[in-house]
Amino acid sequence: MKNPKKNAPKRYFDVEEKNSEQKQDVEVYTIKNNNNKRTDNKRIQKRKPNKNFKGKAPIDPEKLEAHSRGEGVGKGVKHPLHAEKLKKKERKYTYAQEQAARAEILLTEDHGGLEVDEDVKTTAISQKIIAENVDISAATKIFELNLDFGPYRAKYSRNGRHLLLGSKKGHLAAFDWVTKKLHFEINVMESIHDISWMHTETMVAAAQKEWLYMYDNTGTELHCVKKMDKILRMEFLPYHFLLAAVNEFGFMTWLDISIGEVVGHYNNHLGRTSVMAQNPYNATICLGNSKGVVSLWSPTIKEPLAKILCHKTPLTAIAVDNRGMYMATSGVDRSMKIWDIRNLDGPVQHYRLRSAPVDLEFSQKDMLAVGLDEVVEIYNNCCSQTTDRPYLRHRMAKTITNFKYCPYEDVLGIGTRSGFTSIIVPGSGEPNFDALESNPFQNKKQRKEAEVKALLDKIPAELITLNPFDITEVDVPSLQEQMEAKKKLLYLKPKKMDFTPRHKKKGKTQIARKKIIKQAARQEFIEQAKEAQKALDLPQPETAKKPSFGVLDRFVPTIKNKK
Amino acid sequence: MEDIEDTDLVALEHDRLISAVSKLDKTQHITEPTRNEPTNLNSEFNLIKRTNKLNIDNVAKVLEDTAHHVQISKKLKKTQSGAKVLSKPLEKPQAERIKRATGYEETKKKVGRWDPVVARSRTVDYVTFPIKHVSAKLEPTSDFLTKFKLKSELEKELEEVDPQPMVEDEEEEEPIFPKSYEEMVEYRQHLAKMRAQQSYKAAKAKRQSKIKSKKFHRVLKKEKLKQELKEFEELQKRDPEEALKKLEGIEKARALERHTLRHKSTGKWAKNKLIRAKYDKEVRQQLADQLSVGRSLTKKVQDNQSSDDEGDDEPTPNFTLSQDPFNPWMVQRSDKSNVNAEFDFGYKKFVQNKINKHKESDDSDSDENDVSDKDISYAKSSHPEPKEEKLTVTKAIKEKLTAPKSKKGKKAAAKSKAKKPLATSNWDVETVDDTDNKPKDNLEYLKLKKQKPKAVIDEELLESSSKTAEGMANEEKDETISELVKAAQTPVQESADSNIDPNRFIEVKPKYLNTAISQVENEYDQLDDDQVVPRVNIEEVFEEDDVVASFRQEKEDEINKDKPEDINLTLPGWGAWGGKGVKPQKRKRNRFILKAPPKMPRRDENKGDIIIKEFKDPKLAVHKVKDVPFPFESVKDYEASIRAPLGNTFIPEKAHKKLIRPSIITKAGKIIEPMDEEELLVPKNRNFKNQSVMKLLGRKK
Repeated sequence: MKNPKKNAPKRYFDVEEKNSEQKQDVEVYTIKNNNNKRTDNKRIQKRKPNKNFKGKAPIDPEKLEAHSRGEGVGKGVKHPLHAEKLKKKERKYTYAQEQAARAEILLTEDHGGLEVDEDVKTTAISQKIIAENVDISAATKIFELNLDFGPYRAKYSRNGRHLLLGSKKGHLAAFDWVTKKLHFEINVMESIHDISWMHTETMVAAAQKEWLYMYDNTGTELHCVKKMDKILRMEFLPYHFLLAAVNEFGFMTWLDISIGEVVGHYNNHLGRTSVMAQNPYNATICLGNSKGVVSLWSPTIKEPLAKILCHKTPLTAIAVDNRGMYMATSGVDRSMKIWDIRNLDGPVQHYRLRSAPVDLEFSQKDMLAVGLDEVVEIYNNCCSQTTDRPYLRHRMAKTITNFKYCPYEDVLGIGTRSGFTSIIVPGSGEPNFDALESNPFQNKKQRKEAEVKALLDKIPAELITLNPFDITEVDVPSLQEQMEAKKKLLYLKPKKMDFTPRHKKKGKTQIARKKIIKQAARQEFIEQAKEAQKALDLPQPETAKKPSFGVLDRFVPTIKNKK
Repeated sequence: MEDIEDTDLVALEHDRLISAVSKLDKTQHITEPTRNEPTNLNSEFNLIKRTNKLNIDNVAKVLEDTAHHVQISKKLKKTQSGAKVLSKPLEKPQAERIKRATGYEETKKKVGRWDPVVARSRTVDYVTFPIKHVSAKLEPTSDFLTKFKLKSELEKELEEVDPQPMVEDEEEEEPIFPKSYEEMVEYRQHLAKMRAQQSYKAAKAKRQSKIKSKKFHRVLKKEKLKQELKEFEELQKRDPEEALKKLEGIEKARALERHTLRHKSTGKWAKNKLIRAKYDKEVRQQLADQLSVGRSLTKKVQDNQSSDDEGDDEPTPNFTLSQDPFNPWMVQRSDKSNVNAEFDFGYKKFVQNKINKHKESDDSDSDENDVSDKDISYAKSSHPEPKEEKLTVTKAIKEKLTAPKSKKGKKAAAKSKAKKPLATSNWDVETVDDTDNKPKDNLEYLKLKKQKPKAVIDEELLESSSKTAEGMANEEKDETISELVKAAQTPVQESADSNIDPNRFIEVKPKYLNTAISQVENEYDQLDDDQVVPRVNIEEVFEEDDVVASFRQEKEDEINKDKPEDINLTLPGWGAWGGKGVKPQKRKRNRFILKAPPKMPRRDENKGDIIIKEFKDPKLAVHKVKDVPFPFESVKDYEASIRAPLGNTFIPEKAHKKLIRPSIITKAGKIIEPMDEEELLVPKNRNFKNQSVMKLLGRKK
């Protein structure tokens, strides 16, 4: 399903080497397993050890860790029956985890890459060289469309099979870019500001001069959404079936395309913003404004969930990586910053460029494409560590308007001033696709099936928050409020409850560490204060002693001691 | 045997004859009661009881004279000393109790065998029904075929010669039609008749119950009573034992009467009468009547033993109730009236009237009645009742006791009234005020109570603030050492502030990347060079310090907005002078200004130029769990229990199937039989060792 995009022999050799290494690793792990898992040992001991069959293959602990769902239920549940049941459930979860780790063996494909000699830079490898070295079918993925209707914007469908082009001068075209089969091509006779695929490749949305239009895959106009006017940018959130758009006047509109209802419509008070990106991790929308502030938005809340002052100058582009870990921003100040968008911290990296980027885009394998007027530079590993040179560079004779990576392919599609260019970026796409999630080789029936399933699994718009796991958490403050209400009922024993959340909100950053230290200091201080108080209060208990008269004590006048 | 019985019968009849004869004599005979309470006092109310026990000494004393008799007396004494008195058999309830206890132990043991089976089936992941599954192992064909045998030639011939008698099914099927047609018709007619009658009666009863006339009801009641009495008398003749049982119904009537206010002087009617009673003798009598009714109904069932031996019955004194309704002697003395008193108010009244009538009428009539009464008494004597045996108190004593009871009760009531303030002194402010010590105690008590709610208010504010990890940690501490922390808070806060490093952020040094210079820029550069325009840093052009400052200001505002504020509950001018420039007293300030809880650290604290809104989305809250469900006691545990997804798009299919497997699996179309005892022997049940679960499930039983 994936075509090798680089020097094949080298790669195969590499893979073999890796495998041999892994084998060595596995041996080490088995020893670890023996040490750690006594229960497994027991089970094995119970049965007669079969010399021919050594049992199941050990699992790579790293992979196991990757599939971990976090800490399980501890010994907090005292009820013996339920504790037992929970224990059994935990066992099932671990089984699921192990199974998932074992199932990784089915991910046969490995991502490619460019490997060069030490004295050669990867940037020296041009598309021409790549096309010469890859097989024919892969070489067809490098192509160029010269179109006449001004700057083009391009977007791939979610399974990476279809491409949508929309030009400033009204040219709208959709086609299967692999087979180059055209679905439709029309001119809407209006300016198109942005385009977007819907949940399937049969429907597209185009933000035209006045309103938002929807077309099917034959170019027939399906809808004209007049509620959404003068749209500048839009993003489609596939799991929520939401089309999020921002217009010229700074109005955010969230259209639920499954029911055709606007679920959120408000002014963001940012003015005209044409920098927009979605965070695939939590489905929030990032907007960048002219003051260098990136704000995160959700449909139900009319204020930004968070704001980050990224640059001191107007922003030019934002990109969020697939896992929602990093956000790349660039400003007019010719700088590019990488932020930790999950923890809302940063900047992690700060780069200075020679010119201000036009667009930024993360690939599925976290390769950052930076568009600099008519040059595209691709950076590998630029988030967690500082790179000093690009991985790939592609120079064109026309300026870039936008670009998108093609999902599940090592392809970057660039919309330019005079058409569309497709280039190969080895190792940028996810090599293994989940056919139930998004299938590039989907047939009609599968598409219909997937559409129904997706509709059934639709996530309500209210669940868009900074932390997508918010929904799995107990509404603790309200719980506390309940407790307060209960406490207010006099003489009723309040139910004991441990409020500590499962996940602490902060990672172990430098700051968190400092806080812990502070906390410790505070604790110490309190202890000291206690001691001091004790020392001061020493005489008090002595006075408290009184001679007892037994039953007649009640007649002894008690003198209240003032504290 | 028969002879003995005959003689018994003769004796019985003889006794009866004698009693009948003695009844002819109308004089009153007070016979000595056979059972007495041992008392020293010899009064008119209690007669001394002689013990039935034989005093051996007295007997032996007689025999002392001769040598031979000495031997006998010695022997006698020896037997007396050596003989062990059999221990009294346990009281019935006690014996029953023991029986129950042992029975319980036994049953517990028996039922307890099932504990591991039950516990295992509860804890196990899933149970499949039917439990006993037929093994799906297929028999080898050869084994299966061996079961079939062809008949040999000899067998065939033998069969021909002597064919086996056809075994007829001897199932006695119940005839589908147990009745003939005529019977059926009759039966149905009978049923229909019954139903019709029932409905008529129901209709009549309904009609009657709706009649509001008091007179009608009174007449109805009387009629009913008459009917009942008639029946009772018949019953006495026919089945005295049954009649006695009916008599026992009195106990129930007594209990009912005791808990109602029916025959008391508290009703509306009685109160009206009371007003007139002073002037009207008849009204007084009516009242007394009413009260006596109540009293007679609430009286305990008396021992009738004495009446048994009385044998003869004197004519009841002709007393009207006006004479002395309260006099228990009068009520109790006569055997007849005694029975009546024990029976029912209605009966009593009726009998009394009857007696009065009888007095006027012939003696012979009354005699008959008497005989019947006598019958009852015989029946009673012949029917041994433990209750009667237990009663050792003589009637005399009892009756004596009943009279002062009311007085005593009154006294007690008076006493209790007098005592009341003493008993509730803790609560009565007035009485307590007199003493010096008490009020202080009370005040202190009150003070303490007041202090507590205050603390509660503080806590409330503390906890209402938003949830953060740090906050949680703080909370617990705050609760435990709330006072101390309050004292120590300000310095701590200061120290915390001082700890914050102004340059706490790791400034990321910008990395200069050697990016491609775009053609356009190059052109500009070339232009620049050509025109010698001074190179301007674009950053500087666009950079506004204002941006940063305004953002920080925004953050500051945001922080301040969320800050909890003190709650001021002071009412200016309340209990003090108000107006401009008047400061509230320090005491009031302390008391009425509720201090806001300490500020919880925000998520964006120390994060630089990042604002994270901290507010709860009510729309999201709708979807969230509000309360931790039962087996969980902490939020953490509950959250951990729902952390993992179950769907097959998230985890492998096998694990998914395992996770969603129902706890009970039943096979369609299969009858689920209850477990039998073989289940106890199944090794997996026998090996179940989770004691805590077994204990829990055992306790539930």
